[in-house]
Amino acid sequence: MVTATTKGLSRAHEIYADRGKRVRELRKAGKKIIGYICLYPPIEIITAMGMVPFRIFGDMSEPITVADKVSTTVVCPFLRSIIDLGIKGKFDFLDGAVGAHTCDIGMTTIIAWRDYIKDAPFTHLIDVPHTDHAPAVDYFEGQINFFKQHIEELAGEKLSGDKLKKACELHNKQRKLVRDLYDLRKSDPPRLNSMENLEVMVSLFSLPVEEGNELLEAVIREVKERSIKPAKKKARLLVWGPVFDNTSLYELVESTGADVVVDDTCVGTRAFWADVKAPYDLHALAQRYLVDIKCPRTYRDTQHQETERSYDKDLDSRFSYIKKAVTDWHVNGVVLQSVKYCDTHGYEVPNLRHYLDTLGIPSIYIEHDYSERSLAPIKTRVEAFVETLG
Amino acid sequence: MSETATPSKTEKKRAINRLKSMYPLRNVVQQDYIDTLKASNEGKPTVWSMLNYWEGDLPLKAMGLNIVYPENYATLLAASGAAEPFLDASDSDGFPTHMCGYGRSTIGYSYRMMKENGGKIPPDAPLGGMAKPALLLGSGIICDARFKWFQSLARYFDAPEWCLEMPMMATYEGSEPDLEAYQVKFLVKELKDFIAFLEKLFKQKMDWAKLEELTDLAVKIHETTYKISELRQSIPGPMHATDFWSSMPPSLFFAGDMKVSLKCYQDMLAEVQERVNNKVSGINYPERYRLIFAELPPWHSLKFFDSLAEMGWNFVFESFGYHAPKPPDLSKYSDPCEKLARLSRNFMFNVFPEAKADNIQNPIVETYLKIARGFKADGFFMHPLISCRAASCSLRTVQHWEQEKLDVPSLWVEGDIIDKRVFNPQEVLARAEAFEQTMDHYRKVRKSRGLDW
Repeated sequence: MVTATTKGLSRAHEIYADRGKRVRELRKAGKKIIGYICLYPPIEIITAMGMVPFRIFGDMSEPITVADKVSTTVVCPFLRSIIDLGIKGKFDFLDGAVGAHTCDIGMTTIIAWRDYIKDAPFTHLIDVPHTDHAPAVDYFEGQINFFKQHIEELAGEKLSGDKLKKACELHNKQRKLVRDLYDLRKSDPPRLNSMENLEVMVSLFSLPVEEGNELLEAVIREVKERSIKPAKKKARLLVWGPVFDNTSLYELVESTGADVVVDDTCVGTRAFWADVKAPYDLHALAQRYLVDIKCPRTYRDTQHQETERSYDKDLDSRFSYIKKAVTDWHVNGVVLQSVKYCDTHGYEVPNLRHYLDTLGIPSIYIEHDYSERSLAPIKTRVEAFVETLG
Repeated sequence: MSETATPSKTEKKRAINRLKSMYPLRNVVQQDYIDTLKASNEGKPTVWSMLNYWEGDLPLKAMGLNIVYPENYATLLAASGAAEPFLDASDSDGFPTHMCGYGRSTIGYSYRMMKENGGKIPPDAPLGGMAKPALLLGSGIICDARFKWFQSLARYFDAPEWCLEMPMMATYEGSEPDLEAYQVKFLVKELKDFIAFLEKLFKQKMDWAKLEELTDLAVKIHETTYKISELRQSIPGPMHATDFWSSMPPSLFFAGDMKVSLKCYQDMLAEVQERVNNKVSGINYPERYRLIFAELPPWHSLKFFDSLAEMGWNFVFESFGYHAPKPPDLSKYSDPCEKLARLSRNFMFNVFPEAKADNIQNPIVETYLKIARGFKADGFFMHPLISCRAASCSLRTVQHWEQEKLDVPSLWVEGDIIDKRVFNPQEVLARAEAFEQTMDHYRKVRKSRGLDW
């Protein structure tokens, strides 16, 4: 099935450089390519219907020039970039686009897509509740069901339980392989740098799941066979925040004398840490996407129905998975990064920094506008931060 | 909202012809803050609530709980020129500066109360301030900030928090008729859980009869305010936007005694009707242009509208998100939670059938197309906010479709709800003069297209 001549990290680099190349080939061969925005559309359903899920990203190197007629400047620049690229025809290989109410602007992006981007005639918007309350999970299962019905219409066939189970298993396999790959960055120095890692992650969002799994297996083999370079750096960092789909930030951070060894972003661990659990039905999908993905867009109510609330308990319930990552990857500093105007992450910043303080882990918060140009002024701050960790 | 006195006869002619019936309604919310603080001093709990489009307000009121709305309190801070120290306090505690101005004000207020004043209300808080919360009631309706900022207040208060849910899908997928029952079922389950939680927290039972009584009153209030909105389509526009903003809290979140509020709105309806009958304008200058304001106003600079009124600009409608739609018929439902769920849901879903008919995907666009047609708008005053995504994100598409479909132009003025440092009234006035030529031009274009205004 894979026609590529390159393998492993070279293949990932190739796909990263031209994300649409492989899906264009597949489309030519008769496959339907379904774009999706953010982490919440259940891609297992797309795979199970014999289509290819393709995660829609922006482009930090492309100036936003035409999105202004659709979108104000005071909203997420990543999502503005998507609209800009869409209007310019850069997603002309998609047969459809699926969005979700992951945040206010995420929702309006898919609405704007319908009015302004005509290349993908099939669109669907999934409502995602704000909480993980039990009625919200049931409601979300209903939303997934409506999406399933809609995509069945597009496919002209019904989705069988067996096909959904197989798709869940394939995506779970991919998640397991990603976790294995991340394990290779626990060593000091890590066997894989963060730029290489991001190229692999972005590739996974650009390929059918089977090809992604083949790629991962090849990358893991290649990385395991590498000899570890002896040069240790002064800092082992975790990078936190919303979408970051470009290696430039990692290049900037690593150029200051640090290794980024793990992340909590939606192009990294956040997308791959939680599996769909048996029996692989729609309720299991609802549970995985609404409850198990750890994105600040969901109000995870671990003290639900409790009449007394503890701030420390609240922080621990929201962020203890970061504590685990800090321990497992031997992290000694955290870079909190966010695109400007991201409310769901912005409100999180002081509380997460407080939590990290209690763990004795220094942190820094940086904000950018999703353009390569906006990163340059950040470098001095990151350098100073890394210096303090040495 | 900063004005507190009825105008005297000796004052210079005011640019805006304020409705007499507005003043008692404005006083309701101010009195509500004072009463709530007094109750707190007597040991009664105070609930801090986000606007929740009634699904949370009515159960709280039915249980006799005292509620304050930090979102509304932030408008008071801005209107009284007191916001800056609170914004600064939020910034100093590490919250990004581009976030919701209401949220930053509340965070700054909480920071100063708990970290600087030992739990006491900051001395410069207007209207005596807000007492410490016994419950934080967040809401997922309209914007992400409504639950995220209350979640972040946990760093100052140990009060329990609840986040109300609402399907957020005024689009094709959410507006199919067969989905209504599914959405209502979800809301009813959530409301029952919420009420059970209130009973546990405040150790008292829900007064279900009272809840029904208040829901019926809510419907009557909204029927009345809807009629007022309809009358405002008259030429000249009988009620200026500033009167709406000053009088909206008793219908937007039912501040005060709802029976009193209903009577006040009925008085307002009568006064507006009288103005319509006698062709009395909402401004004391000839109405030269009919403007729609979208979306949230610069609370710190409401006097600015006087200057525009002197130019003959009548703001005949505004801020659709603050207007209750025509209420649904709830008489056939017996479960009080279902009644409440349907009342609240109606805010999100009432417009989409029309949008679908007009082949528009964004219901906010459709809402404003309908408003522009009904109110015969000459122009839009678009006010995108540096600190509010929800109220700003659709304004470009509204601008685009108003121009495309109706030849109604927009004046684009960036600003903020709270932070006056990003608003330059003099510059806007200069641009407004030039915009008059644009509105004149498009009047001719509309006439040439056969539109009737």
